[in-house]
Amino acid sequence: MKLLYLIKKEFIEIFRQREMVMIIFIAPILQTILLGYVVTTDVNNIPVQIVNLSQSETANHISDRIIRSPLFNVKKISLQPDNYQEIFKQGKVKAIIILRDGFIRKNPFPPTTYPEIQILMDGIDSNTAGIAAGYFNGITRQYLLSDLSRKGRHSPLESKTLIRFNPRLKSITYMGPGIVALLLTLIAMFLTSISLVREKEQQTLDTLLISRLTPLEIYMGKALPMAIIGLVEMFLGVLVVILVFDITMRGSILWLLLSAVVFLFAILSYALFISSLCSSQQQALFFSWFSIVTFLLLSGLFTPLENIPKAFQWLVAINPLRYLIQIIREIFLKGNGPEFFLKELVSMSAIALVMITFSLLNFKRMITR
Amino acid sequence: MKRIKAVIVKEFFHILRDPKSLVIVLILPILMIFIFGYALSFDQSRIITAVIDFSHSELSQNLIKTLSQNNHYQLKEIIPDERFPTPTAKAESLLKTGEIKQYLIIPSDFSQHMKKDTPAAVAVIIDGSDSNVANIIHQYNEMIFLQFQTEVRKLGPPFSIHTKMYFNPENKSAFYIVPGMVAVIMIMVSALLTSLSVSREKETGSIELLFISPLKSHEIIIGKTVPYILVALLEGTFIMLFAKFWFQIPIRGDLLILLAFGLIYIIAGLSLGIMISTVASSQKVAMIATLLITLLPSILLSGFIFPLDSLSPLLRAFSYAVPATYFLKIIRGVILKDALFQHFSLEGFILLGFSLILINMASLRFSRQRKAAR
Repeated sequence: MKLLYLIKKEFIEIFRQREMVMIIFIAPILQTILLGYVVTTDVNNIPVQIVNLSQSETANHISDRIIRSPLFNVKKISLQPDNYQEIFKQGKVKAIIILRDGFIRKNPFPPTTYPEIQILMDGIDSNTAGIAAGYFNGITRQYLLSDLSRKGRHSPLESKTLIRFNPRLKSITYMGPGIVALLLTLIAMFLTSISLVREKEQQTLDTLLISRLTPLEIYMGKALPMAIIGLVEMFLGVLVVILVFDITMRGSILWLLLSAVVFLFAILSYALFISSLCSSQQQALFFSWFSIVTFLLLSGLFTPLENIPKAFQWLVAINPLRYLIQIIREIFLKGNGPEFFLKELVSMSAIALVMITFSLLNFKRMITR
Repeated sequence: MKRIKAVIVKEFFHILRDPKSLVIVLILPILMIFIFGYALSFDQSRIITAVIDFSHSELSQNLIKTLSQNNHYQLKEIIPDERFPTPTAKAESLLKTGEIKQYLIIPSDFSQHMKKDTPAAVAVIIDGSDSNVANIIHQYNEMIFLQFQTEVRKLGPPFSIHTKMYFNPENKSAFYIVPGMVAVIMIMVSALLTSLSVSREKETGSIELLFISPLKSHEIIIGKTVPYILVALLEGTFIMLFAKFWFQIPIRGDLLILLAFGLIYIIAGLSLGIMISTVASSQKVAMIATLLITLLPSILLSGFIFPLDSLSPLLRAFSYAVPATYFLKIIRGVILKDALFQHFSLEGFILLGFSLILINMASLRFSRQRKAAR
């Protein structure tokens, strides 16, 4: 009962400033919608320059295909060699494709001039460069196939590709729910981490301590309101993702919410742990900023986790956001039941338990001092 | 000038009074560069592939061999069990659990078709949950099929294609990530630093003292920003040194150019923070607003991870409002390409413009609050 009053007090404190409603509910949803579209776009429109030194029929064909392809954005076509280093320094193009006259090949008959192709890439953006090279290979392949069929020969091998779970290859189905989870982490963690410090800074913590509340009650009073807000936010975010981006939710929403509860407890107790260590709101701010960015970049949302070196895999293993995103993906995209993400759920619960124990002990120590 | 100096000195005392916070502010970003320099990599890892071969012919074995010899692929054997008695069912379940990224089915008439020169179809089933990865897998598959065909037909490679990487011949991800990370971290640190400066005074009530002082509003705002330039610059120097000596990022360009642009960038970040600080009613609001405004846009809309050229025009417009977009281009250009001042004069001007507008907005807002208080 006493706990209820404390929770009520926390709610009043959180929403005392009108901006907080905007910050907690509206801003994250706007960001989800906006950033959802960022990641919907796959790599295309890569700025390139074509240097056609050969001007043979084949070279012109290939150059045409590059121009017509939506994957490339041809900024300039030149017929003379250029100062390539300088072009890259200006940063206007990511790759330069040079078509040169190559050798004449006698086999297959009749002999044909095949151009020699040189691709120069701006290695700074190795990600895009690699993808561009792949696209370019696709273009030469297409050319080759049409060349074969013009000569009345079939392509001997055809592949029929089927994409599972996300047939239209929309990245939003993959990213949207992830971004919701991320913004949830940001707000829940941050607000909780400064809530205790604030009471310390303003010396109202003593008032709380001399009240008849037990340490556990104070602790719950701090964690529960944010858990409730977090759940509402998660629910709203998922709803927006489903409605705005037209994604079908394949799995059960109950499991999703259960996972969110476990996740929130892990994050909130971690935040309270930070809070009990810090002595000013500024310190809490920087610690939670650091943690949020770390959780985010090691969550597997933007870069594949398999790439992370072994020495850093333990950081991934203790990252609760990573498990939540994995679970969301299983439920949302694959419609998998709990047997597919039991391992993740258990790991996340273990993290939550350790975090809660740790921060409770730390909290008790702090207030008995 | 003298009056601004007084505010600067006062603000310095504020910073130095709390050395613990200062140390935290300086150390955490270095820790971040350390972690992400190692942990983040965009290199495509091996595509774990299962092949179901119904053809059992020499040709199909050849195709499998071509796949296994390619270092983009890692083959996984399929062993049907009681729950999934057929290879296809087993492969499907592995795809569902994510143990494989794709599987291929080679039909029984594969060899006959190939020999007769009629199209032989191979079915490819790819896990599409990460659409970018699925796309890359598809590209690799097509390449390998092409290679297989030309080998079977003894056509020789269709073209001679040579690829050359400028500036980063070994194609190291760290070259791409570490300078980008510096840009992303610096904007966040600078904005967070000043986001508290005015809002803290509002919370403690000491803002009233500033209100009744003879100082002009813009003098107060400038005076509150200047000390943090030093803190942020110190921070920037630390992480650049760390990037250079720990991650061996070669600094090919002129350090003075980088310093000049870095200074402009830091000021833009600090101005953003102080703007938010004057608008927000408490430290809590200021901090969380700064985090929301800087964190995701700097990572997602700046070109740090996703290439800007692929964005839709509307989002492209949004990306121009993110300061990190400009500095990311500058820092990558100067450090790795030895780019010169004139290559980025436009970007520099835009960043300066940002600072001027934001500082002015902050001063206006402050003087309005001041009038209201009176």
